[in-house]
Amino acid sequence: MTKEKPELEFAADCLSILREKTNGKMVHRRRFLSALGALGVMPLALKFTPAHAASDELVVVNWGGDAQPAFQTIWADPFVASRDGLPTVVEGSGPSSGKIKAMVESQAVVWDVCDRNLPASIDLGQQDLLEKVDWDVVDPAKLRDIHRTDWGVGSYLYSFALTWDSEAHEIAPQNWADFWNLKDFPGTRTLRNNFEGMLEAALMADGDAADAASLYPVDVERAFEKIREIRENTIFWTSGSQSQELFRNREVTMGNLWHTRALLLREETENRVQFHFNQGILFAGAWIVPKGNPAGAKAWDFVASTQDPESQVELFKALGNGPVNPAAGEMVPEDLRADDPGNPENYAKQVAVDAAWYADNYADVLNRYTDLIAS
Amino acid sequence: MTAFAPKTASGAGRTDRFYLLMIVLPCAFLALLYFLPVLNVLVLSVTEPQPGIQNYQMLAESGALHRILLNTLRVSLSTTALTLLLGYMFSLGINSMAPRTRTVALFVVLASFWISALIRAYAWVAILQPNGLINQLLMGIGLIDTPLILVRNELGVIIGMVHYMLPYAILPIYANMAGIDRSLLRASRALGANRWRTFWWVFFPQSLPGLAGSGILVMIFSLGFYITPAILGGGRVVMIAEYISIQISETLRWGVATMLATVLVMVVVALTIWMSRYLKVGGGLASKGGKS
Repeated sequence: MTKEKPELEFAADCLSILREKTNGKMVHRRRFLSALGALGVMPLALKFTPAHAASDELVVVNWGGDAQPAFQTIWADPFVASRDGLPTVVEGSGPSSGKIKAMVESQAVVWDVCDRNLPASIDLGQQDLLEKVDWDVVDPAKLRDIHRTDWGVGSYLYSFALTWDSEAHEIAPQNWADFWNLKDFPGTRTLRNNFEGMLEAALMADGDAADAASLYPVDVERAFEKIREIRENTIFWTSGSQSQELFRNREVTMGNLWHTRALLLREETENRVQFHFNQGILFAGAWIVPKGNPAGAKAWDFVASTQDPESQVELFKALGNGPVNPAAGEMVPEDLRADDPGNPENYAKQVAVDAAWYADNYADVLNRYTDLIAS
Repeated sequence: MTAFAPKTASGAGRTDRFYLLMIVLPCAFLALLYFLPVLNVLVLSVTEPQPGIQNYQMLAESGALHRILLNTLRVSLSTTALTLLLGYMFSLGINSMAPRTRTVALFVVLASFWISALIRAYAWVAILQPNGLINQLLMGIGLIDTPLILVRNELGVIIGMVHYMLPYAILPIYANMAGIDRSLLRASRALGANRWRTFWWVFFPQSLPGLAGSGILVMIFSLGFYITPAILGGGRVVMIAEYISIQISETLRWGVATMLATVLVMVVVALTIWMSRYLKVGGGLASKGGKS
């Protein structure tokens, strides 16, 4: 015990330094602890700090970049000021499945709300790594039925959209069949190095109709065969920023990109790069809560606060993520509606993914897809 | 080498607590923060998802794993061979330089250590891409009509890895070459051998230990590359480190991931043991050369 005390005092001292540095605005206690975790001392530090279940603040984790400050100002700050609110901090370290599993299994959860998608909510939920959604706090009426699961609450919409370089292709590709048509649309392609949204595109190129009923369950073998056709002419992007870079450098002329990245590209290339939602593959981001999260049920108060349609429109303006609350569609300014994946006209052109199929097949198909592109 | 021998022999009998402490502390640090987690990885590889050796059976049965391992081996071996060739040539060059220019050349080699793998990878993309420096130059002088595909494939990965590994090869090779007795070369020439014969019969055999040592060092490093193949390979060059990362953070198949990590550690340990042998041989050869 005598040995442990100085540790506790050291941690407390560091926290007090942090407190001073942040001018008492908020203490990034768990951010500090995750920094300790990176040094491999987290389990120790957690044992020595009795405030293990420090529900005096809420930690929201997303994937960083521009999304980190955007989530903070659009969702976290208003929540702090609200009736149910408590100090809330958004950090951008990326809540991968691996990190969530590691935290939950070592009972050292430092995150409250994570920014993932619906398939992941089912996948992780079935492995008992997530808290079940409290539908008394979160309003199911503010979502389409397909945008909620037992463990996940739809947070925004994003689409895998056909994106092309209009200088390389004067005639715009209309659909995935054109994307696969290397003869009439010559040029290097880019697909993601993860199969999400890629297999559906391949099947539509192979003649399947753009609706969930004909695409799911995915005929994986046929989709792979189709990807094999263009594999030699394809670069596989690993991150959103890389997908942008490939178009910026003119390394590729056509790609299957997140529409948010396509929006950024269109803007920065002054319309050289174009995209449309035709046959887009529509995903929903989802809030998930790791099992045993420190702030407990407060997490769902935060999630409920993000259902406010006006805030979702703000996020759309900032990042391009489509509002998931159907009521928000009307609030999007006229001139921006064409870029909203949730806009009824765009929504009808796209395929809404079957989250359950993904959850059941994710690990297996991802490994086979990795093998496909690597061999 | 021989000069150190008596010192260590007499030092073995003396027990100085201070020096002991200096060894114990880093060892304890390593044990706690390195060996314990590695042990945990070993344990996970035979307990996840259930106890048994099913993960290791996959190693024998899974075609996908074979392809990933073969990719890793092929890329690492090509990298090692090219790195050794270039590193040897460079070392030969600086070995015959005047001391002052040599210092500058070695400084250039060391300077590349200051740049992170990430920045180097992006720099290579800028140089090698279809409208990058090299292709623009070649097209500008009319040598080629369509750009060469130099990056986003295995070639790009190997170029990036060779560049990263060169200092690791040059330093040991040069250190070894610097220890080769020049009077032997002069003797060989005086006895009538031409330059080539002197190089192949007198110089090259003595430089082999440095070559072997750095070859194994480069090979060990190459097996674990992650960022460079991910960026320069265009997603299509998946090496074992990236595959492990996918299993850890995406598919949550920690059993497979830890099994692969264990195999990688075993290979590295085996190579290290092999390397330590070569280094001993190297010491022997160098001192032999020095005496005669």
